[in-house]
Amino acid sequence: MNLVNQIAKSLLQPLLAILVGLAAGAVAIMIVGGSVVDTYAEMWKGAFGSFYFFTNTLARATPIILIGLGVALAFRAGFFNLGAEGQLILGGLSAALTALHVPGPGWLKLTLAIIAGIIAAGIWSAFAGWLDTRFRMNLLITTLLLNYIAVYFASYMVSHPFMDRTGSAAMAQTPMVENAAWLPKLFQGMSVHAGFLFAMIGTILLFLYIRYTVSGYEVRMLGGNPLFASYGGVRRGRLMLISMFVSGGLAGLAGAAEVLGTQYRFIDGSLSAPGYAWSGIMATLLASSHPIGTALAALLLAALQTGGMGVERNTDVPLEISSLIQAVLILFVSARISYSFIKNRKKARAAADGSST
Amino acid sequence: MDLLLDATLYSSTLRAVTPILLAALGGALCARVGLFNVGLEGLILIGAFSAIVGNHLTGNIWLALLFAMTCVMMFSLLFAYMTIHLKANVIVVGVALNFLALGLTTFSLRAIFDVKGSYVDRNMVGLPRWEIPLIHDIPWIGRVVSGHSPLVYFGLLMVVLLYVYMFRTVSGFRLRAAGENPIASRSLGIRVTQYQYGAMIACGALCGLAGAQLSLGQLTLFTEGMTNGRGFIALVATMLGQSNPLGVGASSLLFGFMGSLSTRLQGMALPTQFTSMLPFVVTLLAMFFFRNKSQLADARRSNESSR
Repeated sequence: MNLVNQIAKSLLQPLLAILVGLAAGAVAIMIVGGSVVDTYAEMWKGAFGSFYFFTNTLARATPIILIGLGVALAFRAGFFNLGAEGQLILGGLSAALTALHVPGPGWLKLTLAIIAGIIAAGIWSAFAGWLDTRFRMNLLITTLLLNYIAVYFASYMVSHPFMDRTGSAAMAQTPMVENAAWLPKLFQGMSVHAGFLFAMIGTILLFLYIRYTVSGYEVRMLGGNPLFASYGGVRRGRLMLISMFVSGGLAGLAGAAEVLGTQYRFIDGSLSAPGYAWSGIMATLLASSHPIGTALAALLLAALQTGGMGVERNTDVPLEISSLIQAVLILFVSARISYSFIKNRKKARAAADGSST
Repeated sequence: MDLLLDATLYSSTLRAVTPILLAALGGALCARVGLFNVGLEGLILIGAFSAIVGNHLTGNIWLALLFAMTCVMMFSLLFAYMTIHLKANVIVVGVALNFLALGLTTFSLRAIFDVKGSYVDRNMVGLPRWEIPLIHDIPWIGRVVSGHSPLVYFGLLMVVLLYVYMFRTVSGFRLRAAGENPIASRSLGIRVTQYQYGAMIACGALCGLAGAQLSLGQLTLFTEGMTNGRGFIALVATMLGQSNPLGVGASSLLFGFMGSLSTRLQGMALPTQFTSMLPFVVTLLAMFFFRNKSQLADARRSNESSR
């Protein structure tokens, strides 16, 4: 009974947030003169209406889940890793270049490409962690800065040395990866690819790691109270490097999966334009860094985004209705701390009244 | 070498730097009261859009500026309320604000002007160009310094004014104290919350002007997501300048110069990606050389691990 109560309580807040988000969306729809019911019906259809749209949503959720998991791990350890974008892009770039230039059979290329994506992004992320532990440079700022460096570096790589010069169109992109090295699709003709399985496995592994391992406990302790953790003998620097490496590695995996499973080449700007990185960060924030919650929140955000496309196709309400709902949702959730805060203040006031009388 | 002496290069630098400079000064104010404002990007975007709306509604450039400032101030007030009163995490609210701004502006673009992508109106009045009487006639300098929108001069003026305010007035001293050590300041009777609200609202006004310069300064148009990372560059300029107005001014100028240079270098041997990348590398290096605080002290002061 107690457990049920607890679960209900932890679900109440996100559900309330979703309701508030949808209500805000409804107001916006009414302002542009659309029908609220029709628009939300279209949104539902666009996200889950048919098997095709459903797999579409899953495909969009894949990178968001992976990024969200990585960010969640870093947040749990108390590190604000805002570098998901750069890590995602470096992961995608290294995967594409590895798949293009390593000789061997397709499966070997695929495996090496994914590993390369994870390692490149992991090192990039751990570099920011190293700057923090070794030189005490604020991680939040360095990860933000490293984003831009990665974005411009990748843009240079695909517009100069590794540009696709075979086609007639002079686009900044690499040549196409050969067919054998593609990540297989889960269903014939659907857009969801094997990367989604990685996301699922990653969710479960991260959940078990944080919940049941000693090192996972250290991560939680470090995030909860760094002074207590250092008193208890947790080596912050080592743990930071490891958790940042894994965090970046997950973002890199997202990039690699996106390149090898959907686009089959690295196109300049194609990974940053859909806003995967910030969506992943939002998913983590929505679920307060709980791995399974993060996966669900990522699915919700992906559904909002694909649903928004459905709205755009079939009604006069613009696609951006989804980003409005997303933003209101996240604003509402971020104020969650306030409830406990207000409660505490009331309690304190009550206690003060009690003592004065 | 000819390129580096060209007056239009510096003149375009001044123009390009203004949105960044104004927003970065706002960010510096926030940083000084202990609020790290990641939402600059969103605030500028709202400013750019509402300036166009104000211009469309009133047809008067000054009323449009006022309208933009008011709109952005409302959003920064929301930001302040959530972070100060509701104790929401500053970074989280900043990120959410950026999303809200992008969604809201694009949505309203469709709702108000019924266009998608960008909105241009030939009848709209842009910001005037001010020719400064005497300086205008000096050969090289005149072409660089004169003939900009009033906001360009306002930005430069604000650098000096904010510096004087922060470091030469009692109120500015209290503002810095409120950010440096809120508990001690409170015990001295400084109204920390008031200073925080004041800084956020001032930041909103500055970001509103930054947006107005973006949408009304050079061309009168609004494009979806037209800030294009300028807010984050402003954030970086704030950090590189150590939240000191003079430092912020200098680093903004550096970034603006890099921006103009990289557009100028297009088609030459050096890839533009490297010139665009340079500000961020410079900032990283600057952080490396100017680092001072230890993370434990930080954690102790804020009493939480998330930074």
